[in-house]
Amino acid sequence: MQLSNRNKGRIGATLCLVTANLFSTTGLVQAQEVQNAFDEPATNGPGNIIMDGAVMYYRENNSRIQAIEPMASYTDYADNGDIFSIKLTADSLSGASPFGATPWIAPQNFLSPTSVTISGDDGSTGASGGVVVTDPVTQMKILQTTAKANELPLNPGFQDTRGAANLSYTKALASRTRVTFNLNGSIERDYQSYSGGASIAQDFNNKTTTISVGVNYQHDLSKRLYGTPTPFAVMTGVFTDGTKSENIVSATAGITQVITRNWLVQLNYSYERATGYQNNPYKVISVLDPVTGAPQRYLYEARPDKRTRNAVYIGSKLAVGSFVTNLSARYYHDSWGINSITANASEHIPIGTRGYIEPGVRYYHQSSADFFNYFLLSNAALPQFASADNRLDKFNAITASIKGGYMLNDQIELYAMADYYSQTKAGTKGLLPGNNGSLNLFAGVKAISVMTGVKYRF
Amino acid sequence: MVGSDRLSEVMTTIAKPLKYQFKAMNSPCEVQFDCNDAALAGELGRLAEAEAARIETKYSRYKEDSLLSRVNRSNGRPVPVDTEMMALLTYADNCYRLSEGLFDITSGVLRRIWRFDGSNKVPEDHEIAALLPLIGWDRVVLGPDNITLAPGMEIDFGGLGKEYAVDRVLMMLAAKTDVRILVNFGGDLRVSGPRNDGSPWRISIESVEENRKTEGMIAISSGALTTSGDARRFLLRDGVRYGHILNPLTGRPVMGAPRSVTIAAPTCLEAGIMSTLAMAKGRDAEEFLRDEKLAAWVLR
Repeated sequence: MQLSNRNKGRIGATLCLVTANLFSTTGLVQAQEVQNAFDEPATNGPGNIIMDGAVMYYRENNSRIQAIEPMASYTDYADNGDIFSIKLTADSLSGASPFGATPWIAPQNFLSPTSVTISGDDGSTGASGGVVVTDPVTQMKILQTTAKANELPLNPGFQDTRGAANLSYTKALASRTRVTFNLNGSIERDYQSYSGGASIAQDFNNKTTTISVGVNYQHDLSKRLYGTPTPFAVMTGVFTDGTKSENIVSATAGITQVITRNWLVQLNYSYERATGYQNNPYKVISVLDPVTGAPQRYLYEARPDKRTRNAVYIGSKLAVGSFVTNLSARYYHDSWGINSITANASEHIPIGTRGYIEPGVRYYHQSSADFFNYFLLSNAALPQFASADNRLDKFNAITASIKGGYMLNDQIELYAMADYYSQTKAGTKGLLPGNNGSLNLFAGVKAISVMTGVKYRF
Repeated sequence: MVGSDRLSEVMTTIAKPLKYQFKAMNSPCEVQFDCNDAALAGELGRLAEAEAARIETKYSRYKEDSLLSRVNRSNGRPVPVDTEMMALLTYADNCYRLSEGLFDITSGVLRRIWRFDGSNKVPEDHEIAALLPLIGWDRVVLGPDNITLAPGMEIDFGGLGKEYAVDRVLMMLAAKTDVRILVNFGGDLRVSGPRNDGSPWRISIESVEENRKTEGMIAISSGALTTSGDARRFLLRDGVRYGHILNPLTGRPVMGAPRSVTIAAPTCLEAGIMSTLAMAKGRDAEEFLRDEKLAAWVLR
């Protein structure tokens, strides 16, 4: 009995697939009591398509930033082990943000460029709450904003919308090897970022060990509205430079090890090198009188054009019945002098057979960048680099979060998350020269965010 | 010693696995546990026994009230079947197509005329011709949740049932414990991994020769092992030996089939189907196994 050439040598491979299908259709779920719908990772097994839609709302304290972010994604887990995924995100931000200037006991005026026509409610120009003046020399329109006395200056009436897309494709090269490609793009009015990367993962030891390595390239374009200021230029509202760009190359390597059926650990190392424009073109640093602390002028910040980052991450996931404990820690160091440590703990708690709740807490501490300063003194020579951006300050942050989900039926999952984030100054408090020690220079934030979404599996 | 008298423990200086034994599907069945925990072995052994009994009650053609027997009595009417049986029928359909008709669960009716009792009673051509219209999976109508057999046709899970039971029992028990286990139902077996010390389980292959007990040992650390072939079932007439593997397309035995084929594969079902297919290839069994790159032992 001759075997036709069509199937020659391939019966076993096809049989393997149909056998796997038989077992997943007659899943063990039928034979034993279901403990909780979130126990089995089968929801993301081959043969599933998952569509996910969510919206997140974010709000900072003291009338600072608020944002709303809808997201939609589509992921196809093909029968042969390939995975294709696309995710679209949009955000709409509004509010005000500190821009590096220190507070003062009297009101302060700041100048920034603006377009010719401006109205208080014109969201798309992003400028409101100020007075338009005309520069007597150049005849250009300049927006003058005023910060109140004794308050941290915030840039006014900021609004921006951003759209982003991420594509990812994982191909199973063999039963133990997977290669993944990803492409990302993000566009907003004054900034664009594009990146692409690839990684490969290989399983060993009966799939209990997985080693993966990846590389990524990112290109960012900063197109500050009305032009980019020269570093250390005085804040006059007149600019000359145009679009700036930055290139970031990164590599990661990691190992995931299954220690027992219920316990998984992971170790990762990542390296990143950024070259190009790294300033925040909206941020300034105040130059103060060394005796009284009064502001003399404001200069646009200057950061190095190179930054190298290294990070090591370790994580553990331990399951006890339907409960899962997640612990992780990350240590980070970069060439700007910032060292940070993050520690994270969360517990997944099943509720009945269809729900779960997951409280979590995260602690973060970072040291400040070498060139970070709250202000410069007018009698001192200019340093090579300086920035008063609060994200480069020395601070601690705690996040308390809670996440929960509920399986409405075998195909629909509802989920929600809420977290509270709070930054506090670490180390010596910044003090203005003179007698104004009561003014708080730390521009750290407190924020809440809530998100809710639906996942549909078919 | 806890509970059941089916639980036996051998105390020697070398730790031997605990064994839980019972009878099901017309075969001696056992589950071996590489541990000292007799209570656990007893509890899981009982689960294994219950699952084997559940599968037998549902799919045995020897039980009159099984779902399978109900299908065989349907006389041309559609019979509703549940998710599990539909999945097994779909599987049988896939195997039929993959094997180009050599694996066919409707071929059981041939046992009415072929009795492999060592005698010389070979059926006449007209007897075979009368049965052929009642054989052929392509004549079966599979609906979304039902099956329709033409009157006179029958299905049986003889080539699937035991292997499916081994896979299900192993997967169920492996989900409940890290203890290394071996599930063996009448020679179709599967292990959850190597033994605790990393060494493989040792299985002996029964000899087809009268005067030899075993043909040797196979060491297995993962996956399943099944053996097709039964040297005791044959017909002998005019110097021609007819082995008991029947070709559903011709209604006659496959000539030149090996006396036994043992195959290792990740699951018992895959091993079982492939060993049935290899036997059905007759003289071409070895070539088939080579093309499929299977770990196999053939005895002629």
